[in-house]
Amino acid sequence: MQTIRLKLKEEVMSGNARIPVEVDSLTPDKLVGKNEAEIKAVKVWWGNKEENTGELFDVRVEGEAGSAEEVKIVMEGDLSRVKHIGDGMKAGEIEAIGDVDMHCGAMMTGGKITVKGNADCWAGREMKGGELIIEGDAGANLCAMYRGEMTGMTGGKVTVGGNAGECAGQYMAGGEILIKGNAELLAGLNMHGGKITIEGDAVMPGADMTSGEIAVKGKVQDMMPSFKFAEAATIEGEEYKKYIGDLAMTEKKAKGVLYVK
Amino acid sequence: MAEGELLIKNGVVYDPINGVNGEKKDICIRDGKVVEEVKNPKVIDAGGRVVMPGGVDIHSHIAGGKVNSGRLFRPEDGRRGLEAKTKVCRMQSGYSVPNTFATGYRYAKMGYTFVMEAAMPPLAARHTHEEIVDIPILDNAALPLIDNNWMTLDYVKSGDIDLLTAYIAWIIKATKGYGVKIVNPGGTEAWAWGKNCDLNDTVPYFDVTPAEIVKSLGEANEKFEMPHSIHVHTNMLGHPGNFGVTMATYDLVKGIKPSKDRQVLHATHTQFHSYGGTNWGDFESKADAIADYVNKNEHVTIDIGSIILGDTTTMTADGPMEYSLYQITGRKWTNHDVELETGSGITPFLYSGKSPVNTIQWAIGQELALLVKDPWKVALTTDHPNAGPFIGYPILISMLMSKKRREESAADMHSAIYDRAALPSIDREYDLYEIAIITRGMTAKALGLHEHGKGHLGVGADGDVAIYDMSPEERDAGKIQKAFLNTKYTIKGGEIVVKDGEVVATPAGKTYFVTPECDDTLTEEMLKKLKDKFEHYYSVTFNNYPVQDAYVPNPYEIKAPMRG
Repeated sequence: MQTIRLKLKEEVMSGNARIPVEVDSLTPDKLVGKNEAEIKAVKVWWGNKEENTGELFDVRVEGEAGSAEEVKIVMEGDLSRVKHIGDGMKAGEIEAIGDVDMHCGAMMTGGKITVKGNADCWAGREMKGGELIIEGDAGANLCAMYRGEMTGMTGGKVTVGGNAGECAGQYMAGGEILIKGNAELLAGLNMHGGKITIEGDAVMPGADMTSGEIAVKGKVQDMMPSFKFAEAATIEGEEYKKYIGDLAMTEKKAKGVLYVK
Repeated sequence: MAEGELLIKNGVVYDPINGVNGEKKDICIRDGKVVEEVKNPKVIDAGGRVVMPGGVDIHSHIAGGKVNSGRLFRPEDGRRGLEAKTKVCRMQSGYSVPNTFATGYRYAKMGYTFVMEAAMPPLAARHTHEEIVDIPILDNAALPLIDNNWMTLDYVKSGDIDLLTAYIAWIIKATKGYGVKIVNPGGTEAWAWGKNCDLNDTVPYFDVTPAEIVKSLGEANEKFEMPHSIHVHTNMLGHPGNFGVTMATYDLVKGIKPSKDRQVLHATHTQFHSYGGTNWGDFESKADAIADYVNKNEHVTIDIGSIILGDTTTMTADGPMEYSLYQITGRKWTNHDVELETGSGITPFLYSGKSPVNTIQWAIGQELALLVKDPWKVALTTDHPNAGPFIGYPILISMLMSKKRREESAADMHSAIYDRAALPSIDREYDLYEIAIITRGMTAKALGLHEHGKGHLGVGADGDVAIYDMSPEERDAGKIQKAFLNTKYTIKGGEIVVKDGEVVATPAGKTYFVTPECDDTLTEEMLKKLKDKFEHYYSVTFNNYPVQDAYVPNPYEIKAPMRG
């Protein structure tokens, strides 16, 4: 096993502008086999400038790894303006200690990311595989598509310990999302595959969905009128009402399933 | 234009306008123009490669309101084709709706040096010219939309061809346009009433037919020595069974004598207008009927508007057609009304080889190119981006040059191609001379640009040259495609702009515009009506309407006197 510790230097975020840092080049699969000096020379974007990792982060490498699976990256410091953590990651593990900025785990295909804090918008965007755990809240567009695309998350598993913002799982086509808190407006918007479980409350879930499954354990506010009651259902010993929709997408296409209490 | 001398030696030259068919020939350029000889030139050794004049695209949507709307509402297209800026190039984005910079670079890499923006809403002429200025390298021009305009419709109704003539002269000058563009005549105006028009339907309120509009504009255009004929997108685009309407439209202008040695009507993206059948179920190719018409008549030229498989962004002034398409796909759609003049619609579309309809459409474009016997009557286009992005031209070239390639592609597509299209039975293969005709010779001639130094390499022509990294004997379709995608050299006005497939210089292009010289008395008479329209209906005033010279920083004016 190898642990790569990347601590964002305090002075990077000390200015008023708090220029964001983009770290999609710092994933286990991209850093495996590199020594400390080589990792320090990997380029990351800081605003519109390309900088060496070593300029922005304190880098410490412990142990050795034969493959990306054996690499764990621990990111520390003020990560609230660090974007694209684990973006495109294929294998291994990333642990981000603190709140992280947008696009965490976007387009990841494998491995595991744990955020010990909140994640801003677009976490897990177009995710294809692997696991993303956000211990705090997630911002809007969790596991959604890129703007304009018609496919969001297609695989993998995402767990949010707190609440999720608007449009969680928009255009989702596969994989699983578990939200332990509440989901804001329009979870599963245009969803056409996969499964979203919301343990708290949800507002207008499943609008325009054509396939896939959403289960809401808490209250549903503003239930879409275009869902049709199908039958009573029992999931893990609890009683639900099963609805089919969204009929606004025409009856032929409406194959989404929404379970509400 | 670059000062100094350039000699291109050891090239195998295809220059159809001058009848040069694969001859080993030196090309001399001084101060941006082709000359007989040079004394102390910089030398490019073409090393037996294929050399052609710079490509001339007769019909493409590269600038203006709807292109920009297409970019704005398709961020997902923008992310395809992202390239970071370099020391020479600015940042590029987009595939079917590339940004202005990518448009210039990518055309230049394919050896093109002139592109016609095929649909400029007059009211958005400023926007169009502003974007054109931002497109590097390419010489350019734009065709204003004139057919659904209330002034035009009024004059067609009253039968005042002379006053219509005065109006088209005024609007072409006011927009710094190049000629008369017609898009679904009457149909776009009818769309403002929620309707569409077939050729002999009556346009709501105006009480004229699309047939009358086409004929009147055809006559009016030939009152001047216009470099280009009317440029027509016929009615019922994309409707099964529309081939009859298409040929009936061609027939309307058959008796009109052209004011110059050229066609009377250029029919654009003909693939979309060559459909048989009565619905999408019995949809079939009628390219043979259209090609037969073109073979038997001299007054019509066509461009093919051939399909490139994959995702693209459709955009046209033909608003009702875009709405029909949106109803088929259910994807996003936007729609626009341009006051008294025209309208437009945009929606994304995926051409799939698994779909029988898309497969037949794919065949039709190539059938048109292969069944029209005289290549001087047909131009290579994809109606960029409607049938596919221009970056697909090299694919089409390789298809036209290789029956084997067509057979291989057809084998992967829907079997409808064997029952309801003619392509699999066509043996013809284009040679490089014919490719040069349909990509520069014919297009320059049909636009009248050969008289202004475009599309050929005779003495006095612009020093626009494409050197393709292939030998004239090359028969491998894949290698042909590769060579036509990225030139060894593209030279624009004597300056090397592309070398080994990389853009190395980005000079500004020239904008060609036509000044029809109308009789003053007629103009005065017409202006009374026009000023009334401005006063009552336009959101801008008469005096603020014309595009100022500042919007065309690199002008090339072509005067079109009235026919004697």
